[in-house]
Amino acid sequence: MLIRLAGGRVVDPANGRDGVGDIWIRGDRIVAPAEGEIPDAVYDVSGKIVMAGAIEIHSHIASGTVNTARLLLPENHRAHRPRPEETPLATAGWSTFETGCRYAMMGFTTLVEPAVPPHYALHSHLELADIPIVDKANLMALGDDDYLLSLLQKGASGTQIADYVGAMLAASKALGVKSINPGGSIAFQNNVRTFDYDDVVPEYGVTSRRIVEALQQAVVDLGIPHPLHLHINNLGVAGNVETALKVIGSAGNKPLHLAHLQFYSYGKEGKRGFSSAAAQLAEAVNAAPSALTIDVGQVMFRQTVTISLDVIRQFAAVPMAKPRKSVIFDGEINGSGVVPYLYKSDNYYNAVQWAAGLELFLLIKDPMRVFFTTDHPNGAPYTTYPDLFALLLSRDARARWLADLPKEAVEMTTLPSIEREYSLSEIATMTRVAPAKLLGLKDRGHLSPGALADVAVYNDDPDRAQMFRFAHLVFKDGDLVVRDGRVTHYRYGRTLAVQPSYDAATDRRLAKYYDDLYGLSRDMFKVPADAIARDYRFEEVACGQ
Amino acid sequence: MKAFVEGAEVSLETAAAAAARVLEQARQPVIAGLATDSAGARAAILLAERLHGAYDHMASDILLRDIDVLRQAGRLLTTPNDVRLRADCLLLIGPKLLNIWPGLADRLALAASPRLSEAKARKIFWLGPGRGEAAEIGAAEITATPAALPLALAGLRAAVLERRIRINGALAQKLTELAETLRAAHFGAILWSAESIDRLAIEMVQGLATDLNQKTRFTTLPLDSGKNVSGVVQTSGWMTGFPVRTGFGRGYPEHDTWRFNATRMIESDEADAALWISAYGDEAPQWKRQVPMIALARPQTRFPYAPRVRFEVGAPGQDHDAVEYARDIATFTLARASAPSDAPRVADILALIEQNLTKGYEAC
Repeated sequence: MLIRLAGGRVVDPANGRDGVGDIWIRGDRIVAPAEGEIPDAVYDVSGKIVMAGAIEIHSHIASGTVNTARLLLPENHRAHRPRPEETPLATAGWSTFETGCRYAMMGFTTLVEPAVPPHYALHSHLELADIPIVDKANLMALGDDDYLLSLLQKGASGTQIADYVGAMLAASKALGVKSINPGGSIAFQNNVRTFDYDDVVPEYGVTSRRIVEALQQAVVDLGIPHPLHLHINNLGVAGNVETALKVIGSAGNKPLHLAHLQFYSYGKEGKRGFSSAAAQLAEAVNAAPSALTIDVGQVMFRQTVTISLDVIRQFAAVPMAKPRKSVIFDGEINGSGVVPYLYKSDNYYNAVQWAAGLELFLLIKDPMRVFFTTDHPNGAPYTTYPDLFALLLSRDARARWLADLPKEAVEMTTLPSIEREYSLSEIATMTRVAPAKLLGLKDRGHLSPGALADVAVYNDDPDRAQMFRFAHLVFKDGDLVVRDGRVTHYRYGRTLAVQPSYDAATDRRLAKYYDDLYGLSRDMFKVPADAIARDYRFEEVACGQ
Repeated sequence: MKAFVEGAEVSLETAAAAAARVLEQARQPVIAGLATDSAGARAAILLAERLHGAYDHMASDILLRDIDVLRQAGRLLTTPNDVRLRADCLLLIGPKLLNIWPGLADRLALAASPRLSEAKARKIFWLGPGRGEAAEIGAAEITATPAALPLALAGLRAAVLERRIRINGALAQKLTELAETLRAAHFGAILWSAESIDRLAIEMVQGLATDLNQKTRFTTLPLDSGKNVSGVVQTSGWMTGFPVRTGFGRGYPEHDTWRFNATRMIESDEADAALWISAYGDEAPQWKRQVPMIALARPQTRFPYAPRVRFEVGAPGQDHDAVEYARDIATFTLARASAPSDAPRVADILALIEQNLTKGYEAC
């Protein structure tokens, strides 16, 4: 099948391209213009905007914790309509099926679930298997596991730690490593209620900082393309910009990704002792080595639910739950918490959070280093992305929103003074080129010949939110899956995972450890390739070295 | 393994076609039983949507007791492994917990001290056990009949908060002492099951754990019923957003614990065809009205009336590999077949039935 997308404005910053031209697709790949051949299908996309499929790096879409939130909040499901209707379970609000459809409708073709403790990996893969259309992956959460902390306590070598991380990745079939307030879950089980970067994990005698350094190094040693994905300590606390600055300052030249930095951009100014320190934080990011990347975790005003493995933070948030119910989970590898929350535009704190997120987006100069997230659903559901694109693209749009916010909150931020407007090319960099590089997905995020034919075509609608909410056409692997903002049919994508090499003796040691400590076979926790007895394809993402 | 239409043995294909006709001709079919692995549950939910029918589980009365409290009051919870390794103080609530989970004492290593705790000994209490149950695991017993349990729990909660208890002297004294021990725990866990305590008691257990967390760390361990009951609920959760007792009559999933009670729907003449799934044991439906029934069941099952179409299916994890929720680890695992056979999986039969439907979506 040869397809020609004719005459669109091709926004492909990886190739320095922003101009009218054609894109050719053969099978599942982008190809060079096939001169002299008659395409099987020609789509006239003149006046439309053509980009590679977008890549989501951090969205809580497929895990036991997400499912707990679904069961906790049946009343939230109605809010998810209207929905696509022509495919199985697409009318099911907040389902995996809806996730695939809604993301595809916005032009997203690859999604990453960022928080899966290795013992719950199969659950995550079962949910990923029921997300249609897109390709997907998850990140494995380490940092509160007895085995790792015991290795650190004993002063194990970097090689031993890397071997362990490699063995756990292979068993979990994940794309990379995440760490969440490292050591915090164990500290909480020991009745610790706040846990800082240099605090010591009870009983193990190692600091959060030490865990971060060890995992950061292990990821480098294993050649995993995606850097350590870190959720740092003290999320959501006034004055926590100091923690973020400390982590940035100690990251060195090794790759490190800091998740949802907006939630760490708070100072203590003003009479409420809560202000935006995003400008200061953005400056620190700009000055840091380029191996440091961040995503924002933008807040938008609406009902949502916070879902996090940062159980200390979630426990602290329980009194703020709205509606007033929550789930706090202690687990043998990592805890978690599910706390519903309502962000309101007339709430001082929420207004500061909203502005701080936009300050990070606009003040961090390099769109290769700042990633587009709402930390779905923690800052806002991913369905608010189109509104967020509109805010980045237009200062006037921001001014309209700002006019509705409490004045005293706005004064605690620099947002009104920021003139920058993202270009479509910068949007494409942030949502296509940069995530592909960050995750090590060489054939995505761009439209060069040989790239995977994941393509989104948008109407050049002056209402940018409308433009990004309903793509005109979306191709996944060269297959037209969305037409005029509606999903036409399902196909099932790949699951991306790394398969790093590690010393095979590690598996023997781990088998003995599980037998001894848990009295269970480690095999129970693994994700066998044939577990999901349907069309569920793993695709290896190559490790370096 | 065999398939039957009106009691006569036929090929799987013939039976599937007959089953499809019955389900398709119904105004309101309901899928019930639903005791199957996760692949079977998935196939059943997709089939229910396509039929604009409803689905329910044979253990709904118990599992929804648990979920109702979850979605009204929230929850503190942990895993068996975490209790095994870190909990230095255990409080079991209500009778029959060892019947619900016979391997409990072993799995939680109750006789040993918690390996990953600075506390070197484990204290175990049982409030309201059945006769002789507490002694079986070496727990200190605080007697309370099931009827008296809510009051005893309320008294304990009050004692934890150092409030006055207005119940009889001996019990009040015991509860006060217990409260002191609980408050001194390092990391404690309350063990309970929706099979043995009611909604109010479950909510009281959650409130008790919440109160204890003001000063120390406490959580709860709901004892899983096994047979992939939790796995079916989880699968339903990500597929539709809701647990079981969900219907697709309006073209989108609606969840209602009364409306989509399969037995009620059948007895009240709302449902006019039933698909009964029971792959783990020989459970048969409880309804009395003889609606046309398709059954996917184990060969030894005795039905109250003859199913129109009957398929003999394999047992998950025995006849075939199965992804199911393992209570030992409180999540999904792949259970390899212990005695592999060619008995069909529920998911395969349902797929065959779906292929024989003439209307609705294509298979997913």
